[in-house]
Amino acid sequence: MLTYILRRLLLWVPSVLLVMLAVYALAFYGAGDPIKLIFLRAPGDVAYDPVKIEAIRDQAGLNRPFLVQFASYVGNLVQGNFGNSLTSGRSVWAMIKAAAPVSFTLGVTAILLTAVIAIPLGMVAGLKQNSRTDYVILGTAVALWAIPAYVAGPLLMVLLLMVLPGEAVPYGWGGLFSVKLILPLIVLSFQPIALILRQTRAAVIEVMTEDYVRTARAKGVPELVVALRHILRPVLTPVVTQLGLIMITIVNGAMFVELVFGLPGLGRLTVSALTNSDFPVILAITFIGSFLVMASNLLVDLLYPLLDPRASDVKGGR
Amino acid sequence: MEQPTNLWRDAWKRLRRNKLALAGLAVVAFLVFVAAFGPWLAPHDYLSQNLDLRSVPPQAAHWFGTDDLGRDVLSRLIYGARTAFLVAVAVTLIAVGIGVILGAIAGFYGGTFDRFVMWFTDMTMSVPQLLLVVVINASLKQPISTWMETQYLASLNPIWRNTMLADFVLVFGSMALISWPPYARLVRAQVLSIRSRPYVTAARALGLTNRIILARYVLPNAMGPLVVAVSAGLGTAMVLESAFSFLGVGVTPPTPSWGNMISDGLRVWTNSPHLLVAPAAVLAVVTVAFNFLGDGLNDALNPKGQK
Repeated sequence: MLTYILRRLLLWVPSVLLVMLAVYALAFYGAGDPIKLIFLRAPGDVAYDPVKIEAIRDQAGLNRPFLVQFASYVGNLVQGNFGNSLTSGRSVWAMIKAAAPVSFTLGVTAILLTAVIAIPLGMVAGLKQNSRTDYVILGTAVALWAIPAYVAGPLLMVLLLMVLPGEAVPYGWGGLFSVKLILPLIVLSFQPIALILRQTRAAVIEVMTEDYVRTARAKGVPELVVALRHILRPVLTPVVTQLGLIMITIVNGAMFVELVFGLPGLGRLTVSALTNSDFPVILAITFIGSFLVMASNLLVDLLYPLLDPRASDVKGGR
Repeated sequence: MEQPTNLWRDAWKRLRRNKLALAGLAVVAFLVFVAAFGPWLAPHDYLSQNLDLRSVPPQAAHWFGTDDLGRDVLSRLIYGARTAFLVAVAVTLIAVGIGVILGAIAGFYGGTFDRFVMWFTDMTMSVPQLLLVVVINASLKQPISTWMETQYLASLNPIWRNTMLADFVLVFGSMALISWPPYARLVRAQVLSIRSRPYVTAARALGLTNRIILARYVLPNAMGPLVVAVSAGLGTAMVLESAFSFLGVGVTPPTPSWGNMISDGLRVWTNSPHLLVAPAAVLAVVTVAFNFLGDGLNDALNPKGQK
């Protein structure tokens, strides 16, 4: 087990590094000279003096070869230093620290909401396969999956506007326990709910044909107990493996949801950094997003043998 | 005499029984029609501004009202359909092309190349693709426009000054770059299972070259699931385009796109909600339609999955 964990970790580090390298190279070769980017923004501050600019570049280490710069960027990153924003001059780490709690609260509550709603509904749909209930649940899931957050969000807001007076429509951030969180939370959870619901349903349909389920039924075990004890557990294993995918939908979705509902989180930070071509911020957020997704994939890989002992036999034997 | 059956005729029969998929097909067909004949269908020019009629709600002359610059929303939606459709088709073609070539070679020959392709697809599928594309778009926008400007100065050919061209190159390119891995995986899996079928062994025994076996026996038999993936992929690409335009890294205004219409509408939605509702509703209907059609095709072409 320990060697398995170690091997996974060893494989994981180069993947993260490679993603960072790709993003860094894009910014390095695509975005152009950061010094010029800064001066283009504030042309009045320093006269465009090639000698002076060259001196600043030297001082900032921008004349070193690409790989050396990348290595020092990674080195700083490991120490929690993400550099400074090109627009505001503030430390990127401070900006992220200010924005992260909003996104984090939103993301974690969305994952919890997804689990609470999607797994029971998926179970019901699977147990009553091809019934009217199944079709209604599944159809709704397909619709939820298809409608992007930046469509669902605004449409719900307009609907609310018809019912509520203008100023009562939720906008902005009010913390975890405020009413304003409800709408963004619902919209952010749409896609993960659809994903997990379909996954649960498919798993239930598969597990229901297993011999031990038939045996349990034959013994006269009540239907509810069969569902909870014999079907739910094996169903949870494939569902948990979708954590990485959920993470992707949430990281992607947060960008839109925060923009639509005016939440001061990482997603909005990304969008404003994009419009300003603020590359240190874009780099840092891309890194954090990829890190989160890859970390949850790693977590799934590590948890998998615990959830399904059969998997560890296969992997240990290899 | 009984009609000979084949895969496609059976699939069509099954698809016809699926009401939701048929509805999806109808919407998609309508969309194709609108995208193809947009200039003849649009009641107004999508750029012409009527400053006396700004942000008016829907009325007889402007079915979906006008935006804050006095442009007809319906006409912009129709031209937006053209943008969405063009991007979706081009991106899907490029992505399927790359995916089929890499997936087929990887699956058929195996070895180091196979491992490399699989590792690469794993990588690109395990990062938030949207962020990646956004980074690609943001960082390459400037170099591409600079390059096109130098091309223009060198040749004085006005085509290099066309912002639409630059947009599309960038949007197509970056979207195709993240869209091909699922196709490559799908094709590889298909090729792997077909590779060991008796008719491939027979072809080998006849002494046919690998290339001919791959092109004539393996690939045509791997197409069924690919059709399903493409129909879903078209919908995804359309949503992706609107997502980028919404974030401001897609096509540049004034080229109309549903995504930038939604983000424009978001600024004024309290006063003129129709500017938000119209593009959002259209996008919602289209994406749901593509999904129903994709699911229907899936059931129709892979009947084994249905019990």
